[in-house]
Amino acid sequence: MEAVQKEHDRILKKTKGSQGINNVQSTIDLLQSARDAIATDPTSAAVTLAKLQNPVKSSFDSINDNLKETHSSLNKYTKSLDKLFKDRPLPTTEHDALSSQDTLINRAIAMHLLREGQFGVTSAFLDEIAEQRPTEHPPTEPKQPRRVQFESDPSKPGSILDPHDVPSAEVRNQFASMYYILQQLQDNRNLLPAIEWSREHREALEARGSNLEFELCRLQYVWLYHGAGNPGTVSGWAAALEYARREFHSFVPRYLREVQQLVGAMAYTPNLGGSPYASLFNNPSAWDDVATFFTREFCSLLGLSADSPLYIAATAGAIALPTLLKLQTIMKAKRTEWTTENELPVEISLPPQYLFHSIFVCPVSKEQATDDNPPMMMPCGHVIAHESLKRLGKGNRFKCPYCPSESHPKDARKVFL
Amino acid sequence: MSLRMAAQMTKLISHHLQDQPLLRLPHELARRNFKSVQRAVEREKEYVIPALKDTANASLSNTQTPDQTLAALDAMISRMQGLKRKMEGLQEEEKKIHNQSRKRIQHLEALHKIPSLADVKYDQWSRVRLDRLLVDHMLRSGYSDSAQKLAKERGIEDLVDLGVFTQCQRVVESLRKRETKEALQWCGENKAALKKTQHNLEFELRLQQYIEMVRTQDKSKKVEAIIHAKKYLVSNQQSQNTEIMRAAGLLVFTQDTRAEPYKSLFSLDRWSYLSNLFVKTHHELLSLPSQPLLHIALSAGLSALKTPLCHSAYQSSSSNSQSTSTYVCPICSTELNDLARKMPYAHHSKSYVESDPIVLPNGRVYGKHRLIENSTKIGSVEAGKVKDPTTGEIFSESDMKKVYIM
Repeated sequence: MEAVQKEHDRILKKTKGSQGINNVQSTIDLLQSARDAIATDPTSAAVTLAKLQNPVKSSFDSINDNLKETHSSLNKYTKSLDKLFKDRPLPTTEHDALSSQDTLINRAIAMHLLREGQFGVTSAFLDEIAEQRPTEHPPTEPKQPRRVQFESDPSKPGSILDPHDVPSAEVRNQFASMYYILQQLQDNRNLLPAIEWSREHREALEARGSNLEFELCRLQYVWLYHGAGNPGTVSGWAAALEYARREFHSFVPRYLREVQQLVGAMAYTPNLGGSPYASLFNNPSAWDDVATFFTREFCSLLGLSADSPLYIAATAGAIALPTLLKLQTIMKAKRTEWTTENELPVEISLPPQYLFHSIFVCPVSKEQATDDNPPMMMPCGHVIAHESLKRLGKGNRFKCPYCPSESHPKDARKVFL
Repeated sequence: MSLRMAAQMTKLISHHLQDQPLLRLPHELARRNFKSVQRAVEREKEYVIPALKDTANASLSNTQTPDQTLAALDAMISRMQGLKRKMEGLQEEEKKIHNQSRKRIQHLEALHKIPSLADVKYDQWSRVRLDRLLVDHMLRSGYSDSAQKLAKERGIEDLVDLGVFTQCQRVVESLRKRETKEALQWCGENKAALKKTQHNLEFELRLQQYIEMVRTQDKSKKVEAIIHAKKYLVSNQQSQNTEIMRAAGLLVFTQDTRAEPYKSLFSLDRWSYLSNLFVKTHHELLSLPSQPLLHIALSAGLSALKTPLCHSAYQSSSSNSQSTSTYVCPICSTELNDLARKMPYAHHSKSYVESDPIVLPNGRVYGKHRLIENSTKIGSVEAGKVKDPTTGEIFSESDMKKVYIM
């Protein structure tokens, strides 16, 4: 990489100091002065022209020399690029499983853009898709109403993300309101829209075990205490107390301790910084934390992951590619095919934040559990895959491979990870 | 862990897989630009020097009036001025390309300075990369307007190839409208490079022109077609002999014929074939990958993330939207779920569960500590009870049973 940078700097320097155009100009000057001389004194034509031959030729030569230099620096840069990318062909495209899935990819992109709050780009994108659409046949895949329920509207089951309607107006509205709330929260320190949203969805949030509403109200209280954006306001604590009186009573059953802390801290005013409650009131990342928390809850209620899946997948892809590519080369060299079509043949170690599910690998067969081959727990508490259980037990009592206890295969129970 | 992440970082950098076109393309443009300069200079040199010599000789032998001499000099001066203008234009272009290259090198350089995959900076870098890939995908799909908007919004205009793709798209559009002019013009501009790579795009375009003339069944048009064939097709006799023969045979057929290969020659599908051929040739010439890099990255990423649980009929305990203790997995998320359906899932050689797994009477496995913590957070659960975050069932803490997962 350094080599590439160096060669490129050289090119830049060369371009800046390029004499080519100056040389052309000096040729023009030569011709022009000769012309002027001949025009004033036609008899000198022969001599002037004879004298002109060599200088013109040499200025062309210097233009060419200049070009040659540029050419060589370009070539050097080519070489440095070749070196950088040596033996690194792009992944071959023999089976591009995604090329036929443009509708789904475009949907994912549109969703990603919405998540990022790029509403202008999204609508331009959707318009352009719609323009191209009439020429194509709509795909006839069955809809998959999976895991997407929005609790506020139980009468409307099924997917809010219709694959044919990329993405549905409802989703767009949802994201528009999410973005509005986030903007208010982050730019204007205005928690009220977020609080209002969390109240509207209190039931669903509680079912999830989420304390978003309380977190938001708590921050509002702290913010009021600090003077609601006008530091130095003496009445800050009064406003906070007033807010607590009005709002906190509904939290008391669930968050008694926290409410007690918040209100108890008032006793230390104005020296809260030196009190045991200082960390509660001076948390520099509180706003960011709450914003992240809100985004996560909002997306979760929509059945969507908190971070853009497209981003996570593309990043994971970049991490996985070197390994997959190496695999491809090896398989080509050995002319082997990969036998398990459902499973990648190599393990790719992703950073821990990229592991979203528990993984069960049967310690006997070393296979990952699937719906057809689920994990089974024997009475002793050890878990093996269903097929291993059948093979070990053969319908009779057998010894657990990990401890001395014996059991019958039919005593084993299916577990869900 | 962090050591491993750092090691992976090195591996990632050493590949630069997706970034090859990033540097290659502007370089290719710079080389072309240079060649145009070279050609222009060469052309003027070949004119001016002999012309000057002739004028000098003529005035020496007195076969030329002074006015003629002056006129000859004026012609040379104006040509040189033309050259200067041209070079200035090209130099501007060159500067632009080099600046773009520099920005791209800096962008890649930034990756080198990031110590580990777990670093926040990698996250930021990766977001820029995703934006790049998205713009690339949009441009390739012909959504130029969105591509432009997104690039502008994110300030990555120098990292994406808006100009190149817009031009390509224009030619594709014209082919879609059944016009060959723009495509042929492009072939003319890239004659040298096309010759080197043995592409038959130009021949196919000329053949199409010929077919369109024959299609009319008009006598004079057919004569024109024959002249056209002599001029443009026959010169390719060595490589395209069969095609030329077929073209000749085409003269006696009408477009509703059912005889092959003439039926397919008359077919209007040839136009989409031509536009695909153009795109392929165009991308190859500029060393652009034939498929969007987003597809490459996504298909690798989907597989790396996918688990058998993502498309399972049973809801996973470890990742679902009903529980705060888990994050919704990106593959389970609606956006990618269908897309990942046909992908292979990631290979794992060992189990990955929380360190203190317990099983509830309904068979669901959770980390004990987190389950209890989350149950206390939900105010509605009494002390000593836990709530299954997936099913919502309430169990007594004493119903939890230790489970051993190796």
